[in-house]
Order: sequence, then C-alpha cells, then structure tokens
Amino acid sequence: MRMVLTKQIYFTTIGLIPLFTIIAFLFGSVIIGVVISLATKYNLQDSIDSIIITFVINEFAPFFTALLISLRSGTAINTEIAIMNLNKELNTLNEYKIDLINYLFLPRIISGIISVTSLSVLFALIMLSSGYLFILFYIGMDFHTYKSLLINVIEVKDVIILLVKSVAFGFITMLIPIYSGFKTGQSFTDIPISVLNGMVKLFIALFTIEVLSLLIQLQ
Amino acid sequence: MQEELQTQKDYSLISKNTPLLANLNMCENIAIIKEVHELLSIKKAEELANEYLEKINISHISLQRVQNTNSIDIFYTMLIRALMSKQKNIIIIAMPLIVNDIKYLNDILNNINILNANYKNILILDTITNEHYYKGCLCPIIK
Repeated sequence: MRMVLTKQIYFTTIGLIPLFTIIAFLFGSVIIGVVISLATKYNLQDSIDSIIITFVINEFAPFFTALLISLRSGTAINTEIAIMNLNKELNTLNEYKIDLINYLFLPRIISGIISVTSLSVLFALIMLSSGYLFILFYIGMDFHTYKSLLINVIEVKDVIILLVKSVAFGFITMLIPIYSGFKTGQSFTDIPISVLNGMVKLFIALFTIEVLSLLIQLQ
Repeated sequence: MQEELQTQKDYSLISKNTPLLANLNMCENIAIIKEVHELLSIKKAEELANEYLEKINISHISLQRVQNTNSIDIFYTMLIRALMSKQKNIIIIAMPLIVNDIKYLNDILNNINILNANYKNILILDTITNEHYYKGCLCPIIK
C-alpha cells in the first residue's frame, strides 16, 4: 500500500506542479488585479485585503485545485479502475485475497486528500505572491506593506475553511471516479460512458460542496 | 484432493479470468503477493521474484509490462505469482487459452517442475476439446 500511495502522490501532486504553478501565477495576477480594480471602482479600498483573503484562500484556491485534479487525475483513475474491472484484474485481486480497499481504493483517496490540500495551500501562496505584481504596478505598494496587510487580515477561521474544504474536495475527487470505474459494465464501450458519468457526478459533487460551504459561511 | 479443493478453497487459480495487473511490471506482479500477505519489504519481495524468473532464464522480462511480453512469459509470471501464495494447490484452467503457442508443452511442464521447489500440487483442468494439446505430455492425464 505504501508503494501505491507514493506512486499516487507522485502522479497526482508532483506531476501537476509545473502546470499548476503557471496557472496559479497567471490567475493570481489577473484575478487579484480584477478584484483590486473593482474594489477601487466601488470605493471598497479599505476592504481590499479581506476581499483578497476571502476570495483566494476560502474560495478560489481549493475549488480551482479540485477542478484541476478532477480533470487530470479523476479522469485517469476512473479510466484505470474501469479498465481493471473490464480486464478482470479486480477479479485477480479478489482471487489472491488482496483487499481492494487497502490496495486500490485507500491509497488513491489518501493521495487525493493530500494532493488537494497541499496544492490548495500552494495555489493560495502563489496567487497571493503573483497578485503582488499587479498591486506593485497598479497601486505602487511595497512588498512589506502588502505582506503585513494580508497577514493582519488572515484569521484561523480562514485556514480551517481552506483545510476542511480541501479535505472534502480531495475525498470526493477520488471517491466518485473510483466508484464510477468500479461500476463499469463488461464492454469496452462502457468505459467512456463510465468516465462521462463519473465526471458529471464529480462536478455536481464539487459544486454542491462549494455551495454548502458558502451557505455555512453566510450564517 | 478434489474434496480438499471443494471444502477449503486452498488453491491459487491460474486462468484467463485471473490476469496479471497491467499497471505493474512482471516482477511487481509476482512480488505483490509476498508484500501483501507476508508483509515482506518491496526490495526483498522483488529479489525473490527475480530469483524465480532467473530459474527459468526469463529475468529479462522482469521490468516489462503485460503488453510487452508474450503469452508464455505471462503464463510463467502467473505461475510464479501462484507459487508465491500460501495455498498448497495450484489449479491451471485451460492452458491453451492463456498460452497462444502450446506446441512445446513438455518444455512448459519441465519449467513448472523447476519452479515448483516447494512441491505444491499443480493441477491442469481443461475441456475434452483441448485434449489434442496434451498428446505426448509427460504428466498423468485423468479423464
């Protein structure tokens, strides 16, 4: 299980870092720029720091990370399990008394939780750092002021929301593709249908978690 | 033996329905049994797997996956995997369905003997329509 977990973490997290860093950097500077210009337009300059923190840490980072991992690893895992099912490889594991949950499912779910959580934190850090570039050119604020502005406004609650949402997203991002792959029929034409259904269910689940978290935060 | 098989399920199966795992190489496919059931370290389990592959001079397939090997190598890997399990008996079901070119059955049987150092009971079950494949075979045939 340790080896499978290591491989899964490598493919889900490490393999995604280069693309992820570029996307986080581009989105970070553009989106924080848009937030700042809108805040300025509507005279909300005093709240820019808390708007950035709430938007980046609580909402954008975990949700965007979960979407990226769903697209990259969710589809791969759904297809992998569906093919294993079709090729009777799951039958082999049963026949040789290798526990499917311990060997196949648990390492993927744990890697999903670790990946989404760690990449969400990374995404938030890169976004906030790249956002500084925009602030530097737009407002001319120095880095020290920007840093202390954000640190002052971050609360423990924000970090807890980021972690809880990331864990929930990570769990769902792996569980639904695994379940969908496991339920694939015995024909090759069932594989695309399984991936399609799995991804639709996954996106609905991700949006549901996002909406629920927004509702909880509004209360 | 048949009674034992029926009551205890003390056997490892080699058949078309128990294929090798496509996302593991040959060595990993064998080693997984010892890793899971005897909690052997990955390194030791893979060393043992390689020892068995070396016995019949197919250690070159150790790092290859199913799609890069031929049916006879796949069969030997499945056999070694079965030998790694704790079960006393091994049942091979319809060998012609696993091995495409079964012309040299006695060579296969000879290699089975070389690998079977623990003297497990190995039984080949097949249908009467495949009987011709076993003509001149050195092992006893029970109808």
